[in-house]
Amino acid sequence: MEKEEEKEISRRDFMKITIGAIGGLIGLGFGIPAIAYVVGPALVKGQAQEWIQLGAISKIELGKPTLFKVKITRQTGWIVNEEELSVYVLTEDGRDYVAMSNICTHLGCRIRWITDQDKFFCPCHNGVFDKQGNVVSGPPPRPLDRYETKVENDQLFILGG
Amino acid sequence: MLPRFADWLDERMGWRPVWEAIFLRKMPKVNWFYTLGSATLFVAVNQMITGILLTIYYVPTPDHAYDSVQYITTQVAGGWLIRGLHHWGASVMVVLVVLHMLRVIIYGAYKYPREVTWLTGVGLLLLVIGFGFTGYLLPWDQKSYWATIVGTRIAGVVPLVGDWILRIMRGGEDLSAVTLARFFGAHVWVLPASLMLLVGIHLYLVIRNGISEIPKKEGGKQ
Repeated sequence: MEKEEEKEISRRDFMKITIGAIGGLIGLGFGIPAIAYVVGPALVKGQAQEWIQLGAISKIELGKPTLFKVKITRQTGWIVNEEELSVYVLTEDGRDYVAMSNICTHLGCRIRWITDQDKFFCPCHNGVFDKQGNVVSGPPPRPLDRYETKVENDQLFILGG
Repeated sequence: MLPRFADWLDERMGWRPVWEAIFLRKMPKVNWFYTLGSATLFVAVNQMITGILLTIYYVPTPDHAYDSVQYITTQVAGGWLIRGLHHWGASVMVVLVVLHMLRVIIYGAYKYPREVTWLTGVGLLLLVIGFGFTGYLLPWDQKSYWATIVGTRIAGVVPLVGDWILRIMRGGEDLSAVTLARFFGAHVWVLPASLMLLVGIHLYLVIRNGISEIPKKEGGKQ
């Protein structure tokens, strides 16, 4: 009989376990939402891609990258910004279009087309690209990023966001 | 393993006497009303945790305050919960602090040797009200804007120095970006620092003096 009582959990230990368990639950109740709350925005994917109208294809010179600038709205957090998107468009035959981002693939500076030299130049670290966007010299690791294009009613569109 | 580590740590830190003084102290037989102080402390900790989390996204300027609060409530994962806990916790704080004070009055627990505990408690009551008043402006919506117009006007009614108090509260003639910034500063820096100091003293005194017994009826022998 006495042996059995020894095995039973004491009032004090019961309280300890109960308080520990309730405290643990409360801790989880705060901890899990807190982690989700802090990490949440980091997991949000970029905005959905959509077709952006660049302008009339008649403006594009054959064989020379032509610069288009369009205003796009971009939402970051609670702020909606209007940003300017600059895109170089190249066509050799007036049918197929190559739309290239003007952002250098090295560290994100803005590249510029210099007609005299027939190349794109990046002012930051001397990255040089040819008119197709391929790296000629300098530190850029890959060719200029390209956008998917489509032509509708003589207007050129790119897929971006 | 764990008990041995606890011993190892105690030998170097001496945490055990501190732990025992806080959690294993002698108590008179009391009732549930004596838990109101602990309940207040619990909600205060809730306010601290959720408040710190809110500052991760909240921006205290007129052009961002409202939008950042909407962003927290509708966009951030669990943001509605964190803000909700902070919002409702604020009201619960006031209710609990008042009930706790009533308990102390009704059971006469403010008497010798606990007068200083009572006085720090009065200070804490004022701080909680200050938290409520400054926090109410931060969402920067119509309700908070006009409530603060009214609240600061009320302070302005004080004879002689009223206008001066109103200007200091608003940081100028009108309720503006300056007001929002200083209310935020008070809400997250000045008041929490003061609160922690006073809570520290309050709890030290509760532990040092022990809690009061329930008063006995006159002539009653138990």
